[in-house]
Amino acid sequence: MDANIEEIRGKYLNLDFDEKQFYVDPAVTTEYARLCGETAERFLDEYHEDFQAPPTYVASLSGSRMLPADFPRFGIGMDAGKGIECLQPVRPGTNITGKTHLHDIYTKTGRSGRMIFVVTRIEFYDEEGNHLANSDSRMVMRERS
Amino acid sequence: MAISVLSEVEFGEDLPAFKPDTSLETGAKFAKLVGWDGPRFTDHEAAKEEGLAGAMIPGILSQGYLIAMIHNWAPPAEIIKVDTVFRAAVMADDSHTITGVVTDIDEENATVEIDLTVTNEKGETRVFGTANVRLPK
Repeated sequence: MDANIEEIRGKYLNLDFDEKQFYVDPAVTTEYARLCGETAERFLDEYHEDFQAPPTYVASLSGSRMLPADFPRFGIGMDAGKGIECLQPVRPGTNITGKTHLHDIYTKTGRSGRMIFVVTRIEFYDEEGNHLANSDSRMVMRERS
Repeated sequence: MAISVLSEVEFGEDLPAFKPDTSLETGAKFAKLVGWDGPRFTDHEAAKEEGLAGAMIPGILSQGYLIAMIHNWAPPAEIIKVDTVFRAAVMADDSHTITGVVTDIDEENATVEIDLTVTNEKGETRVFGTANVRLPK
């Protein structure tokens, strides 16, 4: 398969294909922080005046699907990395909404052939619609020859 | 000494090395906490049956270690962005070290860029990443 990446980008980028609600459980966020080795009290003490989920907590929240239902299957996907962007604190005890879209699609060619990278972004919003954070998952697929 | 304001940060300075708890017990607890309790994160023998060298630490826990390291160095640091590349598995029960170095300081916006690396006892890089953080002026 020699996929036309520009065509695929035009068809799939920046279109929401999933939406999911999450409850930010204080018991989970504090344990998450503790297991990561956090020492800052604002992540560990639910009575702290600035109590918040640890910045990478949103990386643990998955949408219902990673790719649009009709996205071409190039090969087995592997986890190539994760990124987090923090815009406002995520407050435990609240509900947030994750909206998923494809943020980037690009290729790299090496000795073993062309690799296709797909960045799936979940944007998280609070109940007032404030944009809190972005969580990017980078998947790499080796193109079948 | 912990960093509390931007003016205390020096370009090129190394953050204090951080030894994360990469025990199987911690990795398994974390995996169960986030609903990823497959055998590859919870059981060495079962992971080997999947063709792996042993149980691994979840990638997002490694990412969490990086942020914890930054907060150990500078407790008020506000994380703006972190990008992480999982180059190879962080094996549970192996000892790892995280190092970090300040690669940029933006005094106008009170932000700092830090390059971070997780290495195992053989000195092999398993995870690396870049974080952008904001500090009080």
